[in-house]
Amino acid sequence: MPSRTIAPELQYADLAQQGDTAQLGMWVFITTETLFFGALLFTYFLYRNAYPHQFALAARDAVLWCGSVNIGLIMTSSLTMVLAINAAADGRRRALANWLLATAFLGVCFLAVKGFEYYLDYGDHVVPAVNFIAKPGEAPAGELFWVFYFVATGLHAIHLTIGVGLVLYILLWRVRRGEITSVYYAPLEVVGLYWSFVDTVWLFLFPAIYLVGRS
Amino acid sequence: MKRAAGRDPALLFVVAWLVLVLLTGISIWTAFLGLGVFAPAVQFGIAATQAAILFILFMRLKGPPSLKWVFAGSGFFWLLFLYGLSFTDYATRQGWPHR
Repeated sequence: MPSRTIAPELQYADLAQQGDTAQLGMWVFITTETLFFGALLFTYFLYRNAYPHQFALAARDAVLWCGSVNIGLIMTSSLTMVLAINAAADGRRRALANWLLATAFLGVCFLAVKGFEYYLDYGDHVVPAVNFIAKPGEAPAGELFWVFYFVATGLHAIHLTIGVGLVLYILLWRVRRGEITSVYYAPLEVVGLYWSFVDTVWLFLFPAIYLVGRS
Repeated sequence: MKRAAGRDPALLFVVAWLVLVLLTGISIWTAFLGLGVFAPAVQFGIAATQAAILFILFMRLKGPPSLKWVFAGSGFFWLLFLYGLSFTDYATRQGWPHR
């Protein structure tokens, strides 16, 4: 893997300022995403508070082992991501590539488990408007729970897919071209911020979806 | 932007990851304890603790540039507005929830 001499863009005094600006830009984006998922969770809390028994009844069909495996996968992927950033900071290119590969792999595994869970959900007749049979006592709010489930997990999966794409872009393009070095690795740090934020979203979706029906 | 020396050691992240896994285990365990109305508070409290670990350590809120706190804090600040005003609205509505 070749190494390049990287110069800051015209508007920056040095690479440190360029890197800090990139990080702050990602934090602005994360702020907007916090409000985006926050509003979604608000609707969940609102209807769960209004219809607690129907929500609990509907949520019993949520596949706990899939959610649990996925929270393990995504938390581990956050670890591999920071280890990749550490490797970049230390100039260990081989380790950087390996940790990034592990991160992407864990992300793909998460999506595969999610896909399998959707398959199980279809078999359980809990897909609103497509294949839904209300259980006794859960109508009409039980269906709302599953609408939230598919909207929230679907949006999360889209975010994670973008994250996998970004990791592969950094790995297959920026690292290979020698653009991620111990001197300048801000692009990787920015992707790491995004990745850990997507992880954070799942931390809140997990109790909302998988634990409500069992409490 | 050489910050290798300023980054936290890998061992700290591994320990933090173990804490995250442990907290997840506790969260799942609480679902079967029959905590009733307190269960959501406990489970989302654990999720908030895990998120704080991710934000402060994994997303390096504690490192430079310190201006990050303003950006991250603004998201939290507006989220408080969103929840506070919206819940106040629904809590004082006539005929909500619809039965």
